Amino acid sequence: MDVRAQIVMVFNLDKCIGCHTCSISCKNIWTDRKGAEYMWWNNVETKPGVGYPRHWENQERFKGGWVVDGKSLKLKAMGKGPTLLNMFFQPNLPKIEEYYEPFDFDYGNLAGAKAGDDQPTARAFSQISGKPIEEIQGGPNWDDDLSGSQIYAAQDPNLQEKQVIDSYASMFMQYLPRICNHCLNPACAASCPSRAIYKRGEDGIVLVDQEVCKGWRFCTSACPYKKVYFNWDSGKAEKCIFCYPRVEGGQCNACAHSCVGRIRYVGVLLYDADGVEGAALKGDAELVQAHRNLILDPRDPAVRAAAKKNGISERWLDAAEKSPVYTLVKEFGLALPLHPEFRTVPMAYYIPSLSPVLSTWGDTHKLLEHGMIPALETLRVPVGYLASILSGGNREVIEEALKKLIALRVFMRSANLKKESDSAALAEAGLDAAAAKRLYRLFTLASYDERNVIPPQQREEQDPERRKQQGGFGILKKTGRGR
Amino acid sequence: MLNNLIFIALPYAALALVLLVTPYRFLSNRLTWSAYSTQFLERKFLFWGINPWHYGIIPILTAHILGFAFPGLFKPFLGNQQTLLLVESFGLGLGLFALMGCLILLLRRVNSGMLSRVTYGSDWLVLLLLVFQAGTGIYVSYFLRWGTQWYLHSAVPYLWSVVSFNPQLGYVAELPLAVKLHAAGAFLIVAVLPFTKLVHLLYLPVDFLKDPPIPYRWRTK
Repeated sequence: MDVRAQIVMVFNLDKCIGCHTCSISCKNIWTDRKGAEYMWWNNVETKPGVGYPRHWENQERFKGGWVVDGKSLKLKAMGKGPTLLNMFFQPNLPKIEEYYEPFDFDYGNLAGAKAGDDQPTARAFSQISGKPIEEIQGGPNWDDDLSGSQIYAAQDPNLQEKQVIDSYASMFMQYLPRICNHCLNPACAASCPSRAIYKRGEDGIVLVDQEVCKGWRFCTSACPYKKVYFNWDSGKAEKCIFCYPRVEGGQCNACAHSCVGRIRYVGVLLYDADGVEGAALKGDAELVQAHRNLILDPRDPAVRAAAKKNGISERWLDAAEKSPVYTLVKEFGLALPLHPEFRTVPMAYYIPSLSPVLSTWGDTHKLLEHGMIPALETLRVPVGYLASILSGGNREVIEEALKKLIALRVFMRSANLKKESDSAALAEAGLDAAAAKRLYRLFTLASYDERNVIPPQQREEQDPERRKQQGGFGILKKTGRGR
Repeated sequence: MLNNLIFIALPYAALALVLLVTPYRFLSNRLTWSAYSTQFLERKFLFWGINPWHYGIIPILTAHILGFAFPGLFKPFLGNQQTLLLVESFGLGLGLFALMGCLILLLRRVNSGMLSRVTYGSDWLVLLLLVFQAGTGIYVSYFLRWGTQWYLHSAVPYLWSVVSFNPQLGYVAELPLAVKLHAAGAFLIVAVLPFTKLVHLLYLPVDFLKDPPIPYRWRTK
């Protein structure tokens, strides 16, 4: 058992209102720079939809992630030899248009235009070429809130029942906030010929070493989530850094901190590094269980002993015990990995969203007939759709999670109405009253420190003189072309 | 005069620059050490430029370097007329391939929307130098036959005399002008190498062939 620690984020999709505050705070801190205008390390997309970049889930186009090859894993795109041969022209690289051509508006013209008969306008111009854009062709949320759903939502590869988007009666939507998953088996790192992308041993954050990256661009397509971006100015790859300068000091990520719906939880998971490849080799439907099996119980003395042997400190073990992520992912099985079938063993987890019973005119008033826990196939968001996104097609794990969430609501509703609390529904879903109260607290009242249990990094635990040696003022060197 | 410039001043200037500036750039700011790919912004023409260029120039450059490093190794093979013919025609083909590639790369930079923002003086300089070098190389290869052989007996001993700091112009002084220009182009390319994106060719991405797939970095280990 090779116990390692990983810092993990959980998203409660049921509470995401799609306000994009997370994206904006991330953008303002990290990607408000030349060459990075089009990058959204954190983005929120509407599902069903094609997302950002468009069709990122389509691995036939981008060849991201891993595939099982007999008894081992291999990158879907290409092996090492072909990597060398495709170094000059990387065939799977996304185009700028598949994200969008970044633009701004010429606001200066509003005040600076020459006197004339017409009101001056602020025309859109490209942030790359600087030339005016007559018609903007895309943006970071081009299909936000189902806009253009016949074009975009209809192409969502997870949506089997395409007809649901044809009528308002059956239409549904939900939001999917995405950051880098800081995978246990990152395809971006494996694809890098320069070895610039690495996983930090202590907390599992995946980073691009900007000094080592030569811009060979294999990572951008190898990441099945398209969360490694090519900076067109610096000629290097960039990605979400899990706000490590904040997290190292015990603060939570900017996206999680600014989340108005408080949908995000940040905490530590312990996992068995020896089992990662084996877990990723499992069949699609078994992948969620394989993820859960990888995650170790921080209260287990054997795990603690092995963790200490690996240099995981007492404070990290304490944080792992209090981790809301452990509660949601392993203990209650509510949070599920995003597209586990890409086999990168992603370490961001999503609690599926609830949805009302799909009712049409006529049976709207007969809702109570559906009982306290309605049949899940009557829910507006098809279970198969959620399964395609969050469980590699395994409907059972989605149903289990949804049942728990509904039972929790039923239970708390009766408690709030001072009725006899309905433990039957809870029991049916595999919960008890104590568990329900804990989850209720975590979902609703939990304070910042309960939602984000982030131990200080070893940097903080080092002697002051060593810590100061490693401190600095950030990057003061110039980057970019033409230098 | 021209001989002194091309065969003494230029090579030593180039050598000094590449040996001094390269480590300086490596140690002072590796953030600019990149191949500066533009594929993200334009790929239609790039495909037809970048692939022919690299697939053409890499074998040719390797042949030049190997010929310089191990001249004795090749001399016995090249005595055979048929082998020589085969090597020369193969080389000429690759050279034409490379020239086509770098011409496309040069033309693609002209009047191209988004690329204009990522095109600097150094890009033009490098592309023009490469076109010049490929062009003179092809001229020499076609009109001054059996260069594969006489390269080993003129340029190679001269280059060795340069690196041993005792330049012997006798080997190269009487060569035709085209060859001298080709040599001058080579020294210029070496001279601008540490200042431009050409530094990417000083890094061969071969480590990953033997490494485990996921690199870890530990602060404490």
